[in-house]
Amino acid sequence: MALARRSRGESLIVRYLILGAWAAVCLAPTLWFLSIGLRPRVEIITPQPIYWPTWSLDAWRQLWEQWPMAKYLRNSMLAIVGSVAIDLVLAIPAAFSLSRYTYRGRDDIGFYILSTRMMAPAIVAIPIFFLFKNLQLLDTVWALMIVFAAINLSVVTWIIRSYMLDIPKELEDAARTDGASDLRILWEIIIPAILPGIITASVIAMIFAINEFLFTLLIASTPNAYTLSVALANFTAGTDGVIYNSIALVAFIAFIPIFLVVIAIQKHLSRGLTMGAVKG
Amino acid sequence: MARIELSRIQKRWGAFWGVRDVNVEIADEEFVVLLGPSGCGKTTTMRMIAGLEEPSEGEIRMNGELMNDIDARDRDVAMVFQGYALYPNMTVYENIRFPLRMRGVPAADQNAQVLNAAALVELTDYLDRKPSALSGGQRQRAALARAIVRKPQAFLMDEPLSNLDAKLRQAMRVQIKHIQRELKITTVYVTHDQIEAMTLADRIVIMEGGAIQQIGTPDEIYNDPSNTFVAGFIGSPPMNLVNGALERGIFVAQGIRVEDIDSTHSGQVILGFRPEDCSIGGSAPQVTGEVFGVEPTGDITYLSLRTGDVLIEVKADRDYRAELGAAESVRIDSKRLFLFDATSGERLN
Repeated sequence: MALARRSRGESLIVRYLILGAWAAVCLAPTLWFLSIGLRPRVEIITPQPIYWPTWSLDAWRQLWEQWPMAKYLRNSMLAIVGSVAIDLVLAIPAAFSLSRYTYRGRDDIGFYILSTRMMAPAIVAIPIFFLFKNLQLLDTVWALMIVFAAINLSVVTWIIRSYMLDIPKELEDAARTDGASDLRILWEIIIPAILPGIITASVIAMIFAINEFLFTLLIASTPNAYTLSVALANFTAGTDGVIYNSIALVAFIAFIPIFLVVIAIQKHLSRGLTMGAVKG
Repeated sequence: MARIELSRIQKRWGAFWGVRDVNVEIADEEFVVLLGPSGCGKTTTMRMIAGLEEPSEGEIRMNGELMNDIDARDRDVAMVFQGYALYPNMTVYENIRFPLRMRGVPAADQNAQVLNAAALVELTDYLDRKPSALSGGQRQRAALARAIVRKPQAFLMDEPLSNLDAKLRQAMRVQIKHIQRELKITTVYVTHDQIEAMTLADRIVIMEGGAIQQIGTPDEIYNDPSNTFVAGFIGSPPMNLVNGALERGIFVAQGIRVEDIDSTHSGQVILGFRPEDCSIGGSAPQVTGEVFGVEPTGDITYLSLRTGDVLIEVKADRDYRAELGAAESVRIDSKRLFLFDATSGERLN
């Protein structure tokens, strides 16, 4: 009995050790980034390893004084939140149609929507550039919003569709016999029931949007439309050379909000990422 | 309330027939049970009445008005589902109020109607709970309250008790019948449970393979089955059905000889008799065989008797006991014999 208790205790310690080691491996790059951001520039580019670094907020101050960081942040937030809003407005009715109605070509349409995600972004880069040029939307946040929304629409639609498929048909039938129209059923029954799915899809779209680089670089040519991810590129091309500690800090700033949101909704997120594994 | 007529109703999905040629007239205030095994078309028939499924052919009328093209939401029927189908994001109160809101009942009247319906199913103390915080029985009562709150033309109930345990099922059965009688609302009830059908129904519609096998009161269905399917479906254990030869009023099969049958038929037939219409032992036995199983249940003992390759089920006294393999004999009440055609299964006598 005592032996069994001890071996259970030991196995628990081993488990925590393995998990702790893995967590350290995963967190190491982030902490390393943070440490680069909080050290003076000279300490970063020195070839000798420094075991006891000097901590400084120089890079942080430089970032806000020399660069329009507030504008980058605002552009990122506007483009991301706006694109997610557009995605939800379009994806929820589309997912409702794909999951609840039966009509010819339904599955083909669903696959077509998903297939837009499979295309290499570079293929559509030039047409998109000319499209926004003709619309006179180049170098605006609106263009970024539309592009991010277009890129993520298929994923958002499919995640929401997978949640909708899990809702028993009986609920919809009950609402229909209770006198509800299709729109009422969607608004009052389906959307509240799939709220975790909507949140998951939104966060996944946000992650994709904040990491988007190619189209942002294509559309944004001045700080008017620069986002955090493109701002990072600026730190490599100026007269000051590559400003590693500023890059590290901006990357960290971009990482933190998503990190916190992911922790808050991680239970739902794993479900969203594995969609299709058990149900198509 | 509503008189419901189904005329020549059919439902096909490609080559598959869900429902074939169903004709039923349901009177106002009547409680009709659609009974049959899984896949017999009973739920599809009910869904067509509700407007959730379109018939491929035939007419559905309510109070004489053709319903085929009328949307489910405009039919003024209320449905109770097997899985309750309570809206998970709403409290019990909001669930019950939902049909009133959807049908534009003035807000001032909604509260009183919700409280009335909740009181009728004894759910007043649970109105602010979400469905997830209710037991199975409470959920069922909430679903029932949502159906009765707006006093519809008809109730449609799709196996509403099948997820409840036996004791709760019995209690809810009584409650459903009581509420239906009190509100005097035409009710169509789907089940595969013959006890529910027998206890609740004014009339039972027995279905199999998408077609109606028999329509009748519970007594008619039990005492006067029209074919072997109905005979074998109703009763627990079901009626004994034995293949054999009938000649000049004498039925003969392996281990069975029954004389003085009042029938002019001759040739291969199926003889039917219920387990409770048999008596064990006595002189001039009609069925002889060996004891295959003895199942005491407390108030009654079931005897399984093997004669040839058939098992005959007999309801014996509660004290009856026998060794497995022992020889045993049985007499059948001659007034309670049924004859069926060996090929079609249709009733002959």
